[in-house]
Amino acid sequence: MFGWTGNLLRVNLTDGTIKKEALCPKDAEMYLGARGLATKIMMDEVDPKVDPLSEENKLIFMTGPLTGTFASSGGRYEVVAKAPLTGTIGASNSGGHFGPELKYAGYDGIIFEGRAEKPVYLWIEDDNVELRDALHLWGKNVFETTDTVLAETAEDARVACIGPGGEKMVLFAGVLNDRNRAAGRSGLGAVMGSKNLKAVAVKGSKSIKVADPEGFMEACTDARTKLKEHPVTGGGLPTYGTQILINILNQSGALPTRNWRDGGIFEEAEGISGETLAEKYLVRNKGCFGCNIGCGRITRIPEGKFKSFGEGPEYEAGWALGACCGVGDLEAVSKANFICNELGIDPITTGATIACAMEMYEKGILTEEEVGRAIPFGDAEALVELTRMIGLREGFGDVLAEGSYRMASKYGCPELSMSVKKQEMPAYDARGVQGMGLEYATSNRGGCHVRGYLTSPEILGIPEKLDPLVTEGKAGWLKIFQDLTAVVDSAGICLFTTFAIGLPEISSMLRTATGINATDEEILKAGERIWNLERMFNIKAGFTAADDTLPPRLLKEPLQSGPAKGKVVDLEKMLPEYYEVRGWGADGVPTAEKLQDLSIG
Amino acid sequence: MKVKFFATIREHTGSREIDVAEQGCGSVGGLLQHLCSLYGRELCSLLLEDGKLGSKIIVLVNGRNVVHLQGMDTPLEKDDEVSIFPVVAGG
Amino acid sequence: MSKILMISPEKCIGCRTCELVCSFTKINAFNPKNSRVSVFTYDEAAVSVPMMCMQCEDPSCMRVCPTDAITKTADGLVAIDERKCIGCKMCVSACPLGNITFNTYEGKVVKCNLCEGDPKCAQYCPSGAIEYREAAPGTMGRKKVIAEKFSELFGEVNE
Repeated sequence: MFGWTGNLLRVNLTDGTIKKEALCPKDAEMYLGARGLATKIMMDEVDPKVDPLSEENKLIFMTGPLTGTFASSGGRYEVVAKAPLTGTIGASNSGGHFGPELKYAGYDGIIFEGRAEKPVYLWIEDDNVELRDALHLWGKNVFETTDTVLAETAEDARVACIGPGGEKMVLFAGVLNDRNRAAGRSGLGAVMGSKNLKAVAVKGSKSIKVADPEGFMEACTDARTKLKEHPVTGGGLPTYGTQILINILNQSGALPTRNWRDGGIFEEAEGISGETLAEKYLVRNKGCFGCNIGCGRITRIPEGKFKSFGEGPEYEAGWALGACCGVGDLEAVSKANFICNELGIDPITTGATIACAMEMYEKGILTEEEVGRAIPFGDAEALVELTRMIGLREGFGDVLAEGSYRMASKYGCPELSMSVKKQEMPAYDARGVQGMGLEYATSNRGGCHVRGYLTSPEILGIPEKLDPLVTEGKAGWLKIFQDLTAVVDSAGICLFTTFAIGLPEISSMLRTATGINATDEEILKAGERIWNLERMFNIKAGFTAADDTLPPRLLKEPLQSGPAKGKVVDLEKMLPEYYEVRGWGADGVPTAEKLQDLSIG
Repeated sequence: MKVKFFATIREHTGSREIDVAEQGCGSVGGLLQHLCSLYGRELCSLLLEDGKLGSKIIVLVNGRNVVHLQGMDTPLEKDDEVSIFPVVAGG
Repeated sequence: MSKILMISPEKCIGCRTCELVCSFTKINAFNPKNSRVSVFTYDEAAVSVPMMCMQCEDPSCMRVCPTDAITKTADGLVAIDERKCIGCKMCVSACPLGNITFNTYEGKVVKCNLCEGDPKCAQYCPSGAIEYREAAPGTMGRKKVIAEKFSELFGEVNE
């Protein structure tokens, strides 16, 4: 095979057996790789009704055919399992260097089954694969774990691991690789922790071959040139990182403030903006494997009570820990973000859960006695301390570690959890960006912004300028974005490339790499197939159209100021159109014709 | 009216926001011309392309992208707030 | 004045595109371990450094080679003649910078050969951390940047 290695590793943690398996070429062609392929395996092998933290769940690390090649920003891989936070299929994407190294070792992916009796880690060095004792690593944070594993294996190996967050099964614990890159959302780190799997280390010396080397280099060079010349990927992102969006969303009246209670304008936005980050705390930018964008941030807070050094914050994290909690202090936000990386928890859910608790506190539903301290909105020290407590499940952190929905439900106020399917929505007030409302309601992993990133056309005007305040046409656009994102996530390249390149360039790279003779439309259809397969998993897990909804605040409480003043999310108008555009019934279930057309089941 | 600058636009203007007197800036087009005369050619090449709204910037009036209003002809009043961004991104 | 590969670590973003494209140029496949350039990342210092053969003026590898397989060409390239190379690996031990290695996959001693005058790493480096240019103006640029820092320093003291 070209692009793909053609090999999978299957590791049974219960009995310790490790097998090498052949990748099914048909599955590879139909589901491409990474997110798509891992979802197909989950669908084939796991009962969607399974308890995510039980042995019956599986945990899959999967790369794409373009991972590790010269493809633009071709360093990505996906971690997939049934997600503990939402109960949906969970797939989280990550960059760094781990994915490519797995391919150099000769594997497209690893399927973990069962549960180890005692903590272990997997060490892969080409054909030598072994499970090693990890008792001495248990309790270590992400950085300590990574350093220790590297010292025990090879200093140029690559490590993906969990921190205390994953060990203690914080429902939104992530898998962190190369120290600061994360498969962050939906709690896949908790699945890893539930299996007593502490880390995966890999070192590879094999090469990845492509079907048409000359054609492939030409396609990649073309893509890379476009990335370099585009103002976003060649200018904005490397200079300011994603945090630049803070001011843009704020000016657009769509930066959710104080648990979305106080509308879309945060008075202290400038203080947590990308401009402030670049001006005061940025050491330099950083790039993932093979990426010529380089949007990563290396940040230092040189002094004061939040003195620290690390990577990030990225926009959604900076928003969640910042505006969402009413905190305008970038030093505290950065420190909290570093703690999330260190302990291995999702900063978006962390910030949004703390914000929910802050609102509950201000309403008198939570008391200072119960939490252990006062937690009003804007309290920077509370933000940092609660983050730490969540990652260690310490004190009230143990309650917060369940996520905002379960926490708020426990106190009889689930409507204060700004989540969909129990996952907290990130950083775009959908009352001011209508298309994002539809994305949050319909995304296959709950409150997720990235899989149908309509912010791009609605706010940034890329690829076209759509009016954020109208609902017309949003359903059609969303389908395209969701399908294309599924292609990108399954091919193994970074989604940020799509600011500058599109389906033609991605398809070109896929064809010349794999040798598969698919048209652009067929490749986009693979994306649609993957989306529908995820939907079917969720339906079998028990989700219905009733779950494609938004918190009451977005449906009933109009914004009080800004350009979207007076607006709620008009989901009632967009959702039926979305089901129609997708070829699903009015009940939100893919019809038999649609499934047949996509060759599913 | 207030005119706010963000990201790399600040490097051209040397400031985050200015107050602009109304006359001559009754429309977005008029305002952009005025900014051209204030800040020079380099900024001007971003703001205007062949007399039309530059493709590498986003102009908001009271939070609304002028592209969804009347473009360059969007009228401006005394209490309006204009924000100018280069096309950057995140996600 | 001959051209050399200029390294500016302060610009390196650690993406390893140079390793990727180099390996492809040499073995028509992707594996940074077959690259003649290696990027070393130091997380605590937030610095990454791409390293490759510096085409020394007085190459240690050339001095120690028993079969005269290594020569310094008129263009400044330290070149290995594969027909003469016996794979004794003395050069690998001799290089004080560690920029020449024996590659088991290819079965030979390898080092940067400037892609025959059109180095790909420099062509594809997204941040300009590796550049292929004339030696003199490059060092002038670096001198100037450092000199400016002194002017700032003394400027503060004078105030």
